[in-house]
Amino acid sequence: MSFDLKQVGLTHGNGFRALHGISLRVGRAERAAVIGPSGAGKTSLIRLLGTALRPSEGRLDLLGDNPWQQPAGKLRALRTRIGTIHQSPPIPPRLRVITAILAGRLGVWPAWRGLLSLLYPADIAGAEAVLARFDLADRLFDRCDRLSGGQLQRVGIARVLYQQPDLILADEPVSALDPALADAALGELVSESERRQATLFASLHAVDLALKWFPRIIGLRAGEVVFDLPTARVSDTMLSELYAAEGGVLPTQANPRAPVRDPGEARMDIGPQKIVKLDACRGR
Amino acid sequence: MKADARTATGSIESCAPRGAADFCLSCMLTSGALLAAVIASFAYLDIDFGSLFSGESAASMAGFVGSFFPPDLDPAFLRKAAYGAVQTFAVAMIGTLLAAAAGLLIALPASGRHGLAASRMSRFILNLLRSVPELVWATLMVLAAGLGPFAGTLALALHTTGVLGRLFAEAIENAPRLPEQSLRDAGCVGVPAFVYGTLPLVWTQCVAYGFYRLEMNIRMATVLGFVGAGGLGQMLYFHLSIFQQAQAATVLIAMFILVLVVDFLSDRLRARMARG
Repeated sequence: MSFDLKQVGLTHGNGFRALHGISLRVGRAERAAVIGPSGAGKTSLIRLLGTALRPSEGRLDLLGDNPWQQPAGKLRALRTRIGTIHQSPPIPPRLRVITAILAGRLGVWPAWRGLLSLLYPADIAGAEAVLARFDLADRLFDRCDRLSGGQLQRVGIARVLYQQPDLILADEPVSALDPALADAALGELVSESERRQATLFASLHAVDLALKWFPRIIGLRAGEVVFDLPTARVSDTMLSELYAAEGGVLPTQANPRAPVRDPGEARMDIGPQKIVKLDACRGR
Repeated sequence: MKADARTATGSIESCAPRGAADFCLSCMLTSGALLAAVIASFAYLDIDFGSLFSGESAASMAGFVGSFFPPDLDPAFLRKAAYGAVQTFAVAMIGTLLAAAAGLLIALPASGRHGLAASRMSRFILNLLRSVPELVWATLMVLAAGLGPFAGTLALALHTTGVLGRLFAEAIENAPRLPEQSLRDAGCVGVPAFVYGTLPLVWTQCVAYGFYRLEMNIRMATVLGFVGAGGLGQMLYFHLSIFQQAQAATVLIAMFILVLVVDFLSDRLRARMARG
């Protein structure tokens, strides 16, 4: 068993209830995708599973332990087994690609090895191998601010693969990639999960990618699980109901942004916005 | 822009300028008060520029300035001046370096990473170090550590720690948190997480602050010599007080060259870091 949520709820500091009554059980080496309209709580769920957020209610069991009942040392050890891919990679722009990737194992390495690796990279071959899987081996020694958004996102994925976690969490991991690259990158994630028997839990904006690569789909809307089914049993009606608030149009790779509302209504909005310019002369 | 605002709605028109009368009153009141303050200051301080420009004082000034020339260019003395310049440079260099290291150490708690109490405490220390000027520190250090460059180095280091510590703390505080947080979420401990996650975000800014302070500290180190903290300043004070103007002139020229060279190099380095 990889993780098990029982009636988990999450209320943010500002009182916003991001998740409630979430019960999910995902086994070892299982692959599941969570989909849903924006604001459904996909990122909150991922952050909860990555122990970046603490649930406000319910029971959370991660890789066999309740992380929030562990002493600090055991929680840290548990965290080294969880790798989170962020939508925008949290990599300082001036870091070299190789340093950014080697940082994936800082949790496992003793501190002196991590610091020494800044002087001379500790594992060039390992970083190169993982980067090669994303067609970026030639950028190994480039600085991250020289990369495009899509390249950086792939470096972010490569860092987590280099970490070799038992649980891979991915928050819209391919949002900055064009369709062909997105497909290839997801393929790499899936094959990594198969090869190392790691669990893969990803939130995806593009429904077609979720249906293609994941055997299990979890529909999330307004902080609640709407459905949790094997992909074959997810029907078109369920999907369009899930995205009803976005006009029932499914976001896919070809059509990433479903229209928020009807275009006629949007045009009417422009009127009053143009008139109010009080601030422009208030600072006189 | 103004025309736009006027045509948009009627209510906006009221806040457009109503003509010259609208701003002249406050301008005139302010400048009047300022003028009165300046005149009152002159009267209070008894400053008489007239005597500065009389023929007699002009002659005595010319005599004083003339006594500095020609500067003493004896090779033995030039060597002494060069040695003083190197000492001044070393004082500023080591002082700034110590301050950067100590500043970074105190900046970590001051940026609020280790809780509110630690932040308040370290900010208090930084404020204390910063609010005492270098010259006062130097006087105290000369009493504590004796005459010489060691006292100057300590004085510069103490004051600069306060300045750099605060700048570093602000840089760290304003840096995005996510890079370091994501490393901690992957089980990384404090020091490597900071070095990989936050330091790369603030490094260039901190180094630029360090160079800037180095430029200021070179100038400061020359002054500190006056209270016995070694280097060119001490030489200048010594030769001036026994009326050896020619030697003093050489020392002044050495100071000028030292400041120019360091400013130039530091400018170039900072510009290069900003580009790269």
